[in-house]
Amino acid sequence: MQIICLSRGTLSGGKQLAERLANKLGYACLSREDLIEAAIHEGIQVGKLETAMLKPGLFNDRLALEREHYVAFTTSYLCDRAKKESLVYHGRTGHLLLPGVSHVLRVRAVADSDYRVKAAMQQLGVDRAKAQRYVEDVDEDRRRWAHNLYGVSVEDVTQYDLVVNLGQLSIENAAAALTVIAQLPDFQMTPASRKVMDNLQLAANVRLSLCRDERTRRSSFRVRADNEIVTVTYLPREAQAAKAIQDVVASLQGIREVRATMASTNLLWIQEEFKPQSNVFGQVVEIATKWNAAVELIRLNSDGGATVEPAEAESSPEMPPAVRDASAPAYNGGIEDDVDETDMEDDGGLKIALDELARLGRSGGGRRVFGGQEQLLNVIDRTASYSLVVIGDVFLDKGHAAQTRLSRELQGLLCDHIRAPVVTTDELKTQYLFTKRDALRLLGFLSLTFVIYYFVFTHQYSILRFLTGNDWKDRIVAAGAVVVLIPIVAYLYGNVAKAFLKLIKME
Amino acid sequence: MNYLIPNFIELDLASALQIVLLGFIGGVLSGFIGSGGAFFMTPGMMNLGIPGVVAVGSNIAHKFGKAMMGSRRHGELGNVDKKLGAYLILASFVGIRFAVWINGLLFKSGGGGSHGEGGGDSASNLYISAVFVCVLSLVAISMLRDALKSREENGGGPSMKIANYLARIHLPPYVSFPVADVRVSLWILMAVGLATGYLAGTIGVGGFIGVPAMIYVFGVPTAVAAGTELYLAMFMGAFGAINYAYQGYVDIRLTLLLYLGSLAGVYVGVYGTKVVREVMIRIVTGSVILLCVVSRGIAVPVYLRQLQWISFDQKWDKYLNQGSKVMLFIAGIAGTLLILHNVIRGYRQRRRIQSQILRVQEAT
Repeated sequence: MQIICLSRGTLSGGKQLAERLANKLGYACLSREDLIEAAIHEGIQVGKLETAMLKPGLFNDRLALEREHYVAFTTSYLCDRAKKESLVYHGRTGHLLLPGVSHVLRVRAVADSDYRVKAAMQQLGVDRAKAQRYVEDVDEDRRRWAHNLYGVSVEDVTQYDLVVNLGQLSIENAAAALTVIAQLPDFQMTPASRKVMDNLQLAANVRLSLCRDERTRRSSFRVRADNEIVTVTYLPREAQAAKAIQDVVASLQGIREVRATMASTNLLWIQEEFKPQSNVFGQVVEIATKWNAAVELIRLNSDGGATVEPAEAESSPEMPPAVRDASAPAYNGGIEDDVDETDMEDDGGLKIALDELARLGRSGGGRRVFGGQEQLLNVIDRTASYSLVVIGDVFLDKGHAAQTRLSRELQGLLCDHIRAPVVTTDELKTQYLFTKRDALRLLGFLSLTFVIYYFVFTHQYSILRFLTGNDWKDRIVAAGAVVVLIPIVAYLYGNVAKAFLKLIKME
Repeated sequence: MNYLIPNFIELDLASALQIVLLGFIGGVLSGFIGSGGAFFMTPGMMNLGIPGVVAVGSNIAHKFGKAMMGSRRHGELGNVDKKLGAYLILASFVGIRFAVWINGLLFKSGGGGSHGEGGGDSASNLYISAVFVCVLSLVAISMLRDALKSREENGGGPSMKIANYLARIHLPPYVSFPVADVRVSLWILMAVGLATGYLAGTIGVGGFIGVPAMIYVFGVPTAVAAGTELYLAMFMGAFGAINYAYQGYVDIRLTLLLYLGSLAGVYVGVYGTKVVREVMIRIVTGSVILLCVVSRGIAVPVYLRQLQWISFDQKWDKYLNQGSKVMLFIAGIAGTLLILHNVIRGYRQRRRIQSQILRVQEAT
């Protein structure tokens, strides 16, 4: 089965392209409007959600739950349809519902402003100025929707496999080109990509069940699924509702185990090999315990490039005869390696690490990512609240210098896209754990603070006289002294408080 | 109250500890609700016999340092729109200057005594108290009304009438802010900046106008509004501190004592937000502010008597002052205890769950 997700700009001809493409390939065609109708039927207040997305001030706990319900429902619906038949989906950001699913062909249909304004004038029967404003307003609404719901910019071309300019290319030619590209091995379902989709669907179904049950529908949960193990993370204030989780999901198929983790925040750890006996593992767990955080693991396997040759590729029986040319040599897209079953079983210690975290009550779920930085970025949930991102040993197949450089690049990339501190394992200990250096700093800052307070309170009269000078020059000096002293005291004492809380593991 | 030098009280251990406690409670409330805590600390200091203008000046200096530490963290997370902050800062400086000028003028004009005694600052105390009562009662009532409405309707947000009205008005020129991802009329920016600066300069409270205005009027995301407000508070605090220090109204001892409590209290307050629901946060905040307003209102008749605008037996001053002080501390302590109760309960729950996990491990 194959999925083509077409993100259409306002009045860019994307809908016509999707329908033509589906017709050529013999695939089903699903639109955002169909999805919304199903969501409304489910009881989700899509209209309110759309309005709130455009006006952040309206967003409250209730609408945050509505958003979770919406994302869970649409993910489940799309996965369900995609498993039954090959599909062309056209909407705004459907591909963002399927992060990390490599057999999704992600297309963006655009057209220049003039093309779209003319389309608006024709469709709406308005003059040019009104049509222009309409196109700009709708563009702005869609941009905000993608930004507020998924934390991405819909115009960021790096999230698409292909961008088609329908102002320059006819719908027929664009559909023909996409038909050929859709046949490439890169976009065929593999066991690995199927597994990723199964995990997404399972997580979505669990979340959906929690949204539908009376006991849990008013609580916020974060759900991850990997290999039939479901991890549900919740805030301390949802502890009462969380007692019902096991009961609520008992009737769902395909669940081997449910792990519920109470956590105030999340920690994301990206590494190639996980070893629960290692020092780094201990340090991460220590920080997670201090902060009451759930630890989410991502195994980044950058070995062998971004795509794989499917071991048992599923071919589409509906493929039009013109595309299938038996005499031509099989085109493998330049792909070198297969991911066979043994590779898939070698999870780099991910399962053992997750089991250990679950044992400690810190599990936030985990998954595998094959590929490089871009694939990793596509998989990370930009709307999740991470307090820290840790980059461990990655790019292990490279030399030391290249490994260091690539790790730093990855760190920079993640800093740009995720609103959380991003550190390497070397920086982890020095910045987040109490070391001898912190002890010296604590003593030093405490001494300086004590000196300042002692001086001020043993010379109160002189200092207050100085601060209330009669001459304008004296008053300027006094004002300057206040403005210099205050930040110094705040800095010194603030660091004392911070270091002390770090010492007693309460920061 | 005894004075070390005019306008600056003598500090004994008891009063020093009370100020540290004020700082701690202010810090807890500040971490919990995201404001600076001045709505509690300023009237609290006035209740201890500190002239209002010195309380405001010392608190604004304290705000400078605290905001500086907080905005660094928000800056690391990309939550500060410096361009938006710059526009608001410029307008707020005008507001602060205006507020300092009025406060200084009223203080020097004298009249009556400070907080029940003879000599000087009743006019400025009355002015500060009046502004405090008027503005914060509106804030508290609207917060409580919205929170109770959310509870009943299970999802209703705050009233958007003003925001919707302002959004319909076309007031060019407009300025775009990429980090906050909004486009705002320059006139509305200036008005909000002026109001924020004026309130910060008058009563030391700017966040209650600034943050809701950024969220509901400009449409800025909450995290960016909070981060930008802290950035703004840093500069407003610095400018306010310069102005008040120049006039001789900053008591550095009070600022240092407030730090002892507030910088630790903030951590407790922030943790509280993890264990308490949003609706409850708003109810607690609104209730504490309302009690602070009532407490300040109780002290107003004293200033009116000192200015000879009303007359009653002077011996009532003591009871009114004590009543105001008790009410304020009840408000602050009750709010803090509620937050601490939830923090401790959350901590115990974690420990219980961890013990259960250990027991299961031992059993298997």
